[in-house]
Amino acid sequence: MSRTLREMRPVSVVGVGLHPYQRPGDTPYTALGVHAVRAALADAGLDWQAVETAYTGTATTAMGLSRLMYRHLGASGIPMTQVENASASGSTAFRQACIDVASGLVEVAIAVGVDKPAAFRRPTTAAGVRDLAAGRIVPFTHFALLANRYMFDHGATPEQFAMVAVKNARNGAGNPNAQRQKERTLEEVLAPPQISGPLTRLQCCPIGEGAAAAIVASEDAIARLGLDPARAVRVLSSAARSETVYQAENFDAALTRETTEIALADAGIAADALDVIELHDAFTVEELLYIEAMGLAPAGGAASQLAEGQFDIGGRVAVSPSGGLLAMGHPIGPTGVGQICEIAAQLRGEAGLRQHPGARLGLAHMVGVGAVCLVHVLAAAA
Amino acid sequence: MRVAADPGLYDPENPLPTLHGSRCDACGTTFFPPLGIGCEICGAGAEGLRAVPLAAAGTLHSLATVYVHAGEDIEAPFTVAEVQLDDGPLIRGLMSEPATIDAIGSRVAAQWAELRTDADGNDVVEPRFRIEDRGDAGGGAA
Repeated sequence: MSRTLREMRPVSVVGVGLHPYQRPGDTPYTALGVHAVRAALADAGLDWQAVETAYTGTATTAMGLSRLMYRHLGASGIPMTQVENASASGSTAFRQACIDVASGLVEVAIAVGVDKPAAFRRPTTAAGVRDLAAGRIVPFTHFALLANRYMFDHGATPEQFAMVAVKNARNGAGNPNAQRQKERTLEEVLAPPQISGPLTRLQCCPIGEGAAAAIVASEDAIARLGLDPARAVRVLSSAARSETVYQAENFDAALTRETTEIALADAGIAADALDVIELHDAFTVEELLYIEAMGLAPAGGAASQLAEGQFDIGGRVAVSPSGGLLAMGHPIGPTGVGQICEIAAQLRGEAGLRQHPGARLGLAHMVGVGAVCLVHVLAAAA
Repeated sequence: MRVAADPGLYDPENPLPTLHGSRCDACGTTFFPPLGIGCEICGAGAEGLRAVPLAAAGTLHSLATVYVHAGEDIEAPFTVAEVQLDDGPLIRGLMSEPATIDAIGSRVAAQWAELRTDADGNDVVEPRFRIEDRGDAGGGAA
């Protein structure tokens, strides 16, 4: 019989660390990754030798890149596995690390996301799948099509999309690991260059480089290794789905709705119990679509609730308190793990300028082209 | 004479574009682009997938004008469309001219667009959608 993560033994995030997300530069991926791993080990109070398995979320850098990075932490011979799942690579690496601990295979596991942007090859190209658009619809235009349809359906305005970027830029301005750390006015977000449909440059996430690491452990390991249980963030659920056939329904939203429903049900909570959410806001319209798909606002209602401040830090539920993909950035492999880092900081009350008061329950959401969706629900220590 | 920019997807000999679709004998679902290996809905094998012509006509589901494009095949701005075909699938292609979101819901049909002339003097064509029933649609870019 199949079981949910919560029906297996408890697994908690005990350490998180990041290398700041930044414009692509000369830093090798190995240095980016080791920086994040050392930060996570220091945060947990663990030695590398305590880590029993490593999953590396990566999509754009190189084949088989793990050991060349982890060797700088000392030889341990642990299993090392690259996990490629497009934008959800880091989220999937985190899920695998949690499953290894929850199942009892290991006591301590690490999920690391690391990437440097390189040439992308689309699976449709590899498969020889062609369509009438012939490569002229890249991700920003996919979401521009959704944005225009959303405006048609709900009477939303370009200014309402832009308000998502204003909020997330404000959050990112308080995040030292964000690629964009500058507050932006509505006028700045709406200013040219126009990219596609209603989307301007600042409504599209920056693709940079960086790294993120999250260490998960069992209750036995927390006790045996003398870790602080008050800083252990429990992973209540892990849900993963792939796209089916939705006909005219927007598949990003449909897949998000399905996966979030599973994650919330497995965690035993309702959507309105969430305090903080990190979601795949690669483009402004996505944040509105996913807030609605998660059941936090009625269809077409997210924009006005956002304008009221309901999704601000300190509002009803803080959405993208890290700055999200729009401000913190989207280095691909690291992004899903970076969301876990932010939620852990929020649930521990250690998020500083970005702290959402009284945060107890958090949700991390990523979609990946192909198309997949990963959702994790986390809870502060009891 | 007309030759197709992508011969696998449409037949350039018809005066109006007809798309090369496929239909699953087992579940009846119609696909474009055509599937040849197995059915996306029911998993029926290749022997159950049949080639069917699809009229390139339907209802405009969404559109977007693209201002930034890295490829050299077409110069931005251009307008892309999602079209709910009368024959079933929701597909994506190009519009022959810009339109605003007011045009969503309009009837559209494809016509041949001449992309270039090849070395033999043939017109290389692809289907592009044109609004047939504009309703209140404006003429600006969306």
